[in-house]
Amino acid sequence: MTEKSVEAKGICKMYKSLLGSSTTILDNISLDIEAGEIFGLLGPNGSGKTTLISIFSTLIYPEAGSLFILGMNARRDKGEIRKVINISTAKPNFPWSLTVRENLRHYGMLYGLYGSDLSRTVDDQIEAFELGDFRDKRFEDLSTGIKQRLSLAKAMLNHPRLLFLDEPTTGLDPDISMKTRMLVKRIHEEENISVILSTHYMPEAEMLCDRIAFLRKGRIVAMDTPRNLKKHLCLGERVVISYQGQADTAAIEKLPGILGLKAQKGRVEISIDRGEESLDQIIKLFSGAKILDIDIKEPDLEDVFIELAR
Amino acid sequence: MNWQGELNKFLASAYKNWIISRRNIFTIFELFFWPMISLLSIGLLTRFLKMDDSMVSFLLVGAIALTILQVAQIDVAYVLLFDMWSKSIKNTFIAPIKSYHLVFGALLFGILRGSVVFIILVTVSRYLFGFDFLVGGLLPVLIFLAGIYAMAAVIGIAVCVSILTFGQKADVAAWSLSGLILLVSGIYYPIDVLPSILQTLAKAIPLTYFLEYYRSIFIPGPHHLIWGASLAAFYLIFGLIMLDRAIERARKTGILLRLSE
Ligand SMILES: Nc1ncnc2c1ncn2[C@@H]1O[C@H](COP(=O)(O)OP(=O)(O)OP(=O)(O)O)[C@@H](O)[C@H]1O
Ligand SMILES: [Mg+2]
Repeated sequence: MTEKSVEAKGICKMYKSLLGSSTTILDNISLDIEAGEIFGLLGPNGSGKTTLISIFSTLIYPEAGSLFILGMNARRDKGEIRKVINISTAKPNFPWSLTVRENLRHYGMLYGLYGSDLSRTVDDQIEAFELGDFRDKRFEDLSTGIKQRLSLAKAMLNHPRLLFLDEPTTGLDPDISMKTRMLVKRIHEEENISVILSTHYMPEAEMLCDRIAFLRKGRIVAMDTPRNLKKHLCLGERVVISYQGQADTAAIEKLPGILGLKAQKGRVEISIDRGEESLDQIIKLFSGAKILDIDIKEPDLEDVFIELAR
Repeated sequence: MNWQGELNKFLASAYKNWIISRRNIFTIFELFFWPMISLLSIGLLTRFLKMDDSMVSFLLVGAIALTILQVAQIDVAYVLLFDMWSKSIKNTFIAPIKSYHLVFGALLFGILRGSVVFIILVTVSRYLFGFDFLVGGLLPVLIFLAGIYAMAAVIGIAVCVSILTFGQKADVAAWSLSGLILLVSGIYYPIDVLPSILQTLAKAIPLTYFLEYYRSIFIPGPHHLIWGASLAAFYLIFGLIMLDRAIERARKTGILLRLSE
């Protein structure tokens, strides 16, 4: 199937207060997400990630804009859309006194599964998300990590073509977070589905996402691949060289791929686009000096986040 | 979608309510304690007032009807209330279901619970107060119960609509509706004792006609069952349309998200 997962043009969302004043939560959001992509939504608290995911998943409706999900009109064909999408919400919650298995059965039924197909799908998800030890535990007795896994399992019940994950690893310890990311990567590859996820964790976006949109105050302020985002913000690799003696630091700036340079006595800090290729040439310029230390730091999206959230 | 899948969309809510209800110790209060209190207090009152058989039947029919109505209506409202309390509303409303799946699924379980209560109350009133509820045969009982369950659905829907429109605490308003019905539909007295304005209101409530119909078995008199049934059908359809609109509106105003926060 070649149609895009999401085609959004001019999406606006406003909330009216009781007194009649309205606040704009999303302002003219336009974006296309290709089929099969893992697309990340990043942005500070309150920037509108959850709201945008809720609109894309037809949970709520925008005030303006046109929206197509998997090639279907989000207003007209919402019934059809809901059959082929699913969501794992932030801070997942399910009926408390139902066990893991009962919860999955209940939601499976809401998706119209029945008979042996229902039982098999529920068992498959319990196995796929390693919930076997918890199958008969009530939701209220589960740890945050297991709740999150149950939520992912629920989101896969209808084998969606487009999956929404709102902060899938928030509140999880680093180990469980990493496992969850691997899980997301695995379902994406095995089931060949498109994923739209929101996160606050840069390593997560970097590890999972083909492209990222950065939201701020309800607007998209940047949208690109993780690599390009870093590049366009001039957040190349940072090479710090400490040396003794003489070096032609002015010549460094003229080399290709150099984004910035800070030179002090005995120490230069260079931002470069593609480290491996220019490093050799840079080192040559230090032939008259004694290099004491070279430190290379990859920029991460954390830097992008801080830069864009400003 | 085939019929079994479609059926399961209904049964999903019944399944959920059933498990929650089974695991909740207070279900006993809903099913046994309060129904017994209301039956016994009315039954004993008839003794104290030395009422004749037709009066006793009048009051016991009213008491049983009210009790079943209250049990069944709360089940319909639970379909949304449970989701709200457990903050799982988003998960329900992202699924490809319609409001009628939720309402009728929950009602199905309400009918089950209501019928359990009905059997208990009928048995108790027979042995304690010598009142044979089933004397008119099975069909009138089924018609009477159907009327009560339709009313229960309408009130349950009204609760859902007000929650979706006005937010979490609004269910109180809708429960008052059930109080109003108690007052005007002739549960404990004939509606002609009401002031004329309330009589008009009583005539707009289907339960009035179902009570009138069922009592006509014990105390012969005219009834307007067809009119009552038509009214009930009208309210039910109207209620479902309103519920659909309330859901759509909640999606527009974002209340749907806030109900799960
Ligand atoms: N139902 C609502 N009514 C009014 N305002 C709302 C409602 N829901 C969200 N908001 C506001 O909309 C803005 C965006 O919220 P949203 O939850 O989409 O942000 P977010 O990017 O997901 O934040 P976080 O990182 O904290 O999850 C916030 O300022 C929030 O207060
Ligand atoms: Mg959020």
